[in-house]
Amino acid sequence: MSLILEIVTPEARVYSETVDTVVIPTVEGEVGILPGHIPLVAQVGAGELRATKGGVTQFLVVGGGFAQVTGEKVSILADSAIEEAKIDVNAVENAMKRAQDALKTKEALDPAEVERLEGLVRFSVAQIGVRNRRK
Amino acid sequence: MASTRDIRRRIKSVKNTRQITKAMELVAASKMKKAQQVALGGAPYAALMAEVLAAISHGIEESAHPFLVQREVKNRGILLITTDKGLCGPLNANLFKLVTEVKTPAKFYSIGRKGTQFLARTKRTMVADFQVHDRVPFAEVKVASQFMVKEYLEGAIDTIEVIYPRFKNTLVQESIVRPILPLKSLKEFLDQFRKPGTTVKADDDREILFEPSVTEVLNALLPFYVDHQIHQIALSAKASEHSARMVAMKTAKDNATELLGDLTLEYNKARQAAITQEILEIAAAQFSAA
Repeated sequence: MSLILEIVTPEARVYSETVDTVVIPTVEGEVGILPGHIPLVAQVGAGELRATKGGVTQFLVVGGGFAQVTGEKVSILADSAIEEAKIDVNAVENAMKRAQDALKTKEALDPAEVERLEGLVRFSVAQIGVRNRRK
Repeated sequence: MASTRDIRRRIKSVKNTRQITKAMELVAASKMKKAQQVALGGAPYAALMAEVLAAISHGIEESAHPFLVQREVKNRGILLITTDKGLCGPLNANLFKLVTEVKTPAKFYSIGRKGTQFLARTKRTMVADFQVHDRVPFAEVKVASQFMVKEYLEGAIDTIEVIYPRFKNTLVQESIVRPILPLKSLKEFLDQFRKPGTTVKADDDREILFEPSVTEVLNALLPFYVDHQIHQIALSAKASEHSARMVAMKTAKDNATELLGDLTLEYNKARQAAITQEILEIAAAQFSAA
């Protein structure tokens, strides 16, 4: 038995593979999914997602979103997602700084824009956090 | 037979037409590439979101969220997405056909100038029309979707549906009516498209677990759903528009080229006929003089 893990962002399908187990960072803490898990819909927070296949663990970072588990399928709807190996710490820090600067003038911004920027900051923090832990 | 001068004039005008349609084809082709990329990139996300919601809508109580409640339909709310400009083949006409098939009372909302004009001309109840830029920014589409959601919650309309040209590929765009709210109708809609025998999700009918809770998940997911779906639909419609226009312009260009060939042949024939005529006259004149 194995799981089909699918991670999709508004821009593209980021990840789609068969794996053995998945650990999802939900807003209430990490949830481990094994094949045959009961149907679950969870709110995903920004953080690290781990997928294990044949003893090898892959690390991904996701922004906020939702996860759905049905039968053998795990679908993640994320605002953003990136594989750990592709994280560019400098670029992330710059992006985070720009977002934080923009957020200083919060009143002048559209609420949706504020939400987007805050999401970006959370995603950046999660990326940097994961990267530092692995060093 | 038409004089050579007339034919020459027509050739010139057809040549001009060909040049213009060729330029328009190139413009549409480059816009099409971009629009298709955006539309196809976002498609899996929108599709997955629709699937998640369709599954959710069957696993929980109707009373959990107003979007789930199926009311008696007194007024349908229909968003018609058309193009701002013409010259895109039968695209808009196909959409209008769908509009005329709506017999039950409905309120219309429009994105695109052609649709607005059509609704006004056929004297249908049009509540609002929205301007959306060619790049289809989320913020502009959101204005339309938020307005419809507001009307839906207030009870002015009992469904939210969208009539738009769904992008399949460059040559095929399918005009469809797509239900957005209430969520129950979404499941039926998705089932139409699923091939028989591939009911992967349906066979898992155990109760769905929500984390952190049903209300929290729904409150986070549902308001976002309508905006996102309608945006994705608008992107798909835009990709359809540019594809249809490119194909229409290509056909026009090919027709012009063909016509040009025919006219050139006719011109040469007329010219040759005139020359032959002249030679005959000269010969006849010489013969009678001698």
